[in-house]
Amino acid sequence: MSSNFKITEKHPWLSWFIFSATIIVVFVLGLLASSIVERRAEAVYVNVPKNEISAFEPRNEVWGENYPREFQSYYGTADSSFRSKYNGNVNIDMLEVDPRLVVLWAGYGFSKDYNQGRGHFYAIADVQNTLRTGAPTGSVAGPMPTTCWTCKSPDVPRLMNEKGVVQFYSGKWERIGSEIVNTIGCADCHDPETMNLTITRPALVEAYERMGKDIKKASHQEMRSLVCAQCHVEYYFDKTVAEGANYLTFPWDKGLSVEEMEEYYDGREFSDWTHSISKAPMLKAQHPGYEMYLTGIHAQRGVSCADCHMPYKSEGGQKFTDHKMQSPLNNIASSCQVCHREEGATLMANVYERQDKIIENRDKLEELIVHAHVEAKKAWDLGASENQMKDILMGIRHAQWRWDYVAASHGGSFHSPVESSRIISTGITTIQETRLKLARLFASLGFNDEVPYPDISTKAKAQEFIGLDAEKMNSEKIEFIKTTIPVWMKQAEEREKSYDIAANN
Amino acid sequence: MVISSILLGVFLFTLYVSKAHSYLSDNPETCTNCHIMAPQYATWNHSSHREVANCNDCHVPHNNFLNKYYFKGKDGLRHATIFTLRNEPQVIFIREEGSEVVHKNCIRCHSQQINDPKLSASVEGHQAHMQDRKCWDCHREVPHGRVNSLSSVPNARVPLPESPVPVWIKNYTNNN
Repeated sequence: MSSNFKITEKHPWLSWFIFSATIIVVFVLGLLASSIVERRAEAVYVNVPKNEISAFEPRNEVWGENYPREFQSYYGTADSSFRSKYNGNVNIDMLEVDPRLVVLWAGYGFSKDYNQGRGHFYAIADVQNTLRTGAPTGSVAGPMPTTCWTCKSPDVPRLMNEKGVVQFYSGKWERIGSEIVNTIGCADCHDPETMNLTITRPALVEAYERMGKDIKKASHQEMRSLVCAQCHVEYYFDKTVAEGANYLTFPWDKGLSVEEMEEYYDGREFSDWTHSISKAPMLKAQHPGYEMYLTGIHAQRGVSCADCHMPYKSEGGQKFTDHKMQSPLNNIASSCQVCHREEGATLMANVYERQDKIIENRDKLEELIVHAHVEAKKAWDLGASENQMKDILMGIRHAQWRWDYVAASHGGSFHSPVESSRIISTGITTIQETRLKLARLFASLGFNDEVPYPDISTKAKAQEFIGLDAEKMNSEKIEFIKTTIPVWMKQAEEREKSYDIAANN
Repeated sequence: MVISSILLGVFLFTLYVSKAHSYLSDNPETCTNCHIMAPQYATWNHSSHREVANCNDCHVPHNNFLNKYYFKGKDGLRHATIFTLRNEPQVIFIREEGSEVVHKNCIRCHSQQINDPKLSASVEGHQAHMQDRKCWDCHREVPHGRVNSLSSVPNARVPLPESPVPVWIKNYTNNN
């Protein structure tokens, strides 16, 4: 130091030189730093919406003004022209295709009506039109709770925010018919401020909490499946959470496999309904699409739902996520062929091969369970006691749960063919063990004949067999669609007029 | 003393705000420190390479450690200069030197497919083409697609840098 001072003492100009040089360097460095700050700040403005979207905005049209490409592609879900070998987006009457379903679901809503789901665009129309929701009038209550709306509309998070979650889950389906009018859309998966993916349904968040996980820590890639997992999962209505509420709950506490969920339900002695033929306490598998996908090779390789069902699309030099969620089989070039360099027809054949093989055994299992239901009825008729029937009814419950788990996992035979086969085979084992018990019971009751397989070759015959009055249901529903639905829509229109931002169309 | 510590302070601030430390990593998010890289990030993130290769696997040489960082430093400084001077073109194309590196990296990972004599018959002239053209002259969509203008992915969800102001300061200023 002292030598430095000596130098500056000798040459006083030198300290002035260092002083001014530092000023220049700091000045230039400051300029550089502020330039970096500015360019960093630009990142904040990369995505600024034209119109502000308020929190819980349910109208897709309002979001669509900011994001016209995504919005237009989203309306592609209105297209109902694609039919693959087994599914697609056409409104197929599944009970007509497979009348055994009517018997399997005897005593439950699904035996009335069960159709292949159309695109998200029709979510509300389809739930209004199905015979399962009945024809509630002012004086006659419908069969379904409000909870059935939970996955149908971005009006749901809005309503949950306004009235509370428990309140939303309380009461009959028709109570909020005029509130739920915007079909599944933007606000179901996106944050209105940042446009990031977000979870809007409490059931998934709560299931994660009970598993000791925090869904907020999920990566963007995980979120590209988790937003789908808000709905495309197995669930049930828990009546023990709050008085009068059908609280939507995912049975994931013990794990996400078919056995672990079965154990969960058995532990709670939960059943969706009592079978009207066999009196077995049944479980209805909803649509464990996400759980099944997790066990498949695509999930194991890090592929998300959106990678195949919403691939990138290019339009006029701009790339964006195709919001027409659909079967990748209708868009093989943008989905499968991003990774698999085979011909489209080959890839299609690969999918169908897996589906064919799973459905071969699934159909067999269905037939065996129908046998078991009518045999159980015969045993009751012959005077079997509850004690004698207990194990048999549990066997029927478990076998049908496994069958339904695969059947309802929509695409499961492709998402996870090995797991699907495994579940079907455990179902076949279970139901045949149960039928052995039934045979021994028949022997002890002095009966040694074959219980005839019912004539259920058509939907009409099957519905007659289980004692459903299809004509009455249909005429009531037509009346309901003609009179009640227009009233709901009118009320909704009035309500939306009072919103801050007007929709331009 | 005071003067030189001010100098050092501003220097450190520049390093911090430019996230200089992140450039030592292989994390793809580093490349979106400049938001104009969003199209490249988004297209890679929607490609099959997402699961197996990050930006550096393809875009810097891997023949030796020194060459990797020499090339990365050289290329990075050029990018940083252009970005700071706001000189970026509307459509960014790879330069000759960079494309050599990428081509060699294609071969580095895919040598099995290219050199296996059993497969050489399945694609006519695969061996020869490897010498006289770039891989993507034929495999044109891999992995970013053909052309990416700055505005080609207007709404892509890309991990852009967030505000450099620490959360506690934000909380403090919000409370006042």
